[in-house]
Amino acid sequence: MKQRPLDIHSNDNTLFTTEQCNNHCIMCCQPPRKIDDIDHYYQQNIKRVLSAPKDLPLIALTGGEPTLMGDKLFSLIRLIREQLPNTEIHILSNGRKFADPEYAKALKLAGDNKVMVGVPLHSDYEKDHDIIAGSKGAYNETILGLYNLAMQGIAIELRIVMNKLNYMRLPQMATFIHKNLSFVTWTAFMGMERVGFADTKSTHIWIEPIEYIPQLCQAVQLLDDFRHEVVIFNIPLCLLPEQYHPFAEKSISDWKNKYTDCCEQCRLKEQCCGFFATSTQLYTGIKPY
Amino acid sequence: MKYYLLPFKFTRIGDHEVFVNEVGDMLHAPIGTAEQIVNRTIEDPELYKSLVANFFISEIRIPALLDVYAERLAEKKRFLDDYTALHIFVLTLRCNQNCIYCQASSRDEHCAASSMSRENMRLAVQHMFKSRSQYLTMEFQGGEPSLEHDLFLYGIELAEEINQTEHRHLTYVLCTNSINLTDEVMATCKQYNVLISTSLDGPSWLHNQNRGKQDSYEKVVKGITKAREILGADRVSALMTASELSLNYPIEIVDEYHKLGFTSIFLRALNPYGKATDNADWEAYTNRFIEFYKQAFEHIIELNKQGHVMIEEYAAIILRKLLTPWCTGFVDLQSPAGIVNSVLIYNYDGYMYASDESRMLAEENDFTFQIGKLSESYENLVYSPKVKEWSKVWNNEAIAGCSDCALQAYCGADPVRNHSTQGDLYGFRPTSLFCKKNKAIIEYIISCVIDRYDELMPIFRNWIR
Ligand code: SF4
Ligand code: SF4
Ligand code: SF4
Repeated sequence: MKQRPLDIHSNDNTLFTTEQCNNHCIMCCQPPRKIDDIDHYYQQNIKRVLSAPKDLPLIALTGGEPTLMGDKLFSLIRLIREQLPNTEIHILSNGRKFADPEYAKALKLAGDNKVMVGVPLHSDYEKDHDIIAGSKGAYNETILGLYNLAMQGIAIELRIVMNKLNYMRLPQMATFIHKNLSFVTWTAFMGMERVGFADTKSTHIWIEPIEYIPQLCQAVQLLDDFRHEVVIFNIPLCLLPEQYHPFAEKSISDWKNKYTDCCEQCRLKEQCCGFFATSTQLYTGIKPY
Repeated sequence: MKYYLLPFKFTRIGDHEVFVNEVGDMLHAPIGTAEQIVNRTIEDPELYKSLVANFFISEIRIPALLDVYAERLAEKKRFLDDYTALHIFVLTLRCNQNCIYCQASSRDEHCAASSMSRENMRLAVQHMFKSRSQYLTMEFQGGEPSLEHDLFLYGIELAEEINQTEHRHLTYVLCTNSINLTDEVMATCKQYNVLISTSLDGPSWLHNQNRGKQDSYEKVVKGITKAREILGADRVSALMTASELSLNYPIEIVDEYHKLGFTSIFLRALNPYGKATDNADWEAYTNRFIEFYKQAFEHIIELNKQGHVMIEEYAAIILRKLLTPWCTGFVDLQSPAGIVNSVLIYNYDGYMYASDESRMLAEENDFTFQIGKLSESYENLVYSPKVKEWSKVWNNEAIAGCSDCALQAYCGADPVRNHSTQGDLYGFRPTSLFCKKNKAIIEYIISCVIDRYDELMPIFRNWIR
């Protein structure tokens, strides 16, 4: 995988750490591969950090699953903190490794208050989560991991990717988060990217956003009722009822947006996230404001 | 279907079966669901998933996330870690009113014998700092505590002095009828940021009748206005007590609070103590109070719908217990009970008592809840055999009737009330009016949440914050 140079003007500065993963999520946009690539990327990332612009606001560590680096993850974080002391570090992890409290503690030691961990949760029901994550036991480890991260006072972004297998329980998930995971910094509901596994298995897991908007809105409302931070990513504004527009964020990565012809006459195009540039099809129900 | 039942309780409210787990999470389902759960024949797959996810049933014998559940329980009982936070100092029994239901058995304001000595104040403040709570509330009561300004000031100064080295968060509250808010009293309140908690029963004719004086209302409102001007509106709150007469006027009482600019009201029933025990039939009173509560509550909802801010505090407490994972500190609805765990009383007579009600019983020569002399050591008082005895009956998880009650997580234990109304600490729930009142009101609030969610949630979310 070729990595783009770190760029202060981009909002997507990523250190890719490995293609391996201990999950096998059915909608993963980076389907994991079993190859011994950790050292390769580690060396590459050290060079990239050393040559990065010093006032880079944010750096993201992704994979695959970055925690498969083991202790190398902490060396890399220490290097970032040394070289880029003002840069926020965002780790995208399935959280399972943090079921080991010592590993969560070590992350706190290395990253202190500069790290945030983004963790996907697929369902409040163990077996549904495990089916979507493609791995038995994933749910329990992820939840324990979240608790251990919270015990260390590490900021957490909870990510919920909507798909055909979990959208029915979005409101129940919101209650579950409110009751059991109230410590997360914020919850992000994310439209699914239709690439990777998502396209090949698309009939099984793909669902048009317009079909889950009611459940999504109910879930967002519930979390907001109890004053939890909540955001929506990757859902075009014209699919969302207006009162939920304030929750919609433009995009995670600026290079991922694209728009369709009818967006040209839309007065919300500036605020709207549009579509994934990588997506093979547009969504149903798009109409300009 | 193979799964294990985790401890949960259920009851029927309206057309629903309501299920509550050990940490107060609630699910509701159609009648007949409990039977399905027990017989392993749950029909609704989404309900099944919710039951597993929320710790009502488990697919393996010991849930893998038991530690998460334990942590949630620990959070709900966090008030125990915090230890005693509320410390009530009864400065005097002297009073300048003569309320028909006086719960403190007040003496005439010119009677000298019934005030706290300086020495006892000093001992009391020292005991307060023995609690390891980071937050200490020093609440001054009476009689009418403002009649003892010097003692009030002395108590605060002592606390401030000790706090130079203790560094706790101190809050002062003056519970006053607001008739005697002299410049002197106000200056002390201003200097030490004292909160004023005053009594106001409703419109003037009702208030005056309850208070046994012709001009009480005018004086109270004048006092409230003065206190708001000097201390700020947010430093002044009011408490109502529903006399038998009040029960006919729920709307008028709420409107009076609204008119005077209060944004919250605590619909409070009379307690069977003090002169109030003379009041006739308590059962009839309780039934009428429940109806009064519902009418006042609905009127408060109407005010909210019109865009006014008005919180009913009792409902807000229940809603927090019901809808949030957080600990709710409220001494009257706690298990283990509020006595000693969350509140201690330092009485004018030089003794420590278990609760406000306990010292009122003492006025009727019932010293059951007198813990001991203030001159004894804190440890001897708080860990005395008497307190240990009470601890056997202060958990509603462990007393008959409550232990399998679906509302247990939202309700509390009250050995003092059991003793004063039923003659034993343990109590008998089927005839307990404390139980009857709480059950009726909590069930009412639950049915609001279930049946009127979309209507009421926009209001409740502001009450809970
Ligand atoms: S945890 Fe992330 S990287 Fe791993 S399979 Fe799932 S989506 Fe892909
Ligand atoms: S029409 Fe295009 S720009 Fe406008 S809201 Fe829809 S997706 Fe966004
Ligand atoms: S007092 Fe009554 S309502 Fe409260 S827990 Fe006990 S039995 Fe239930």
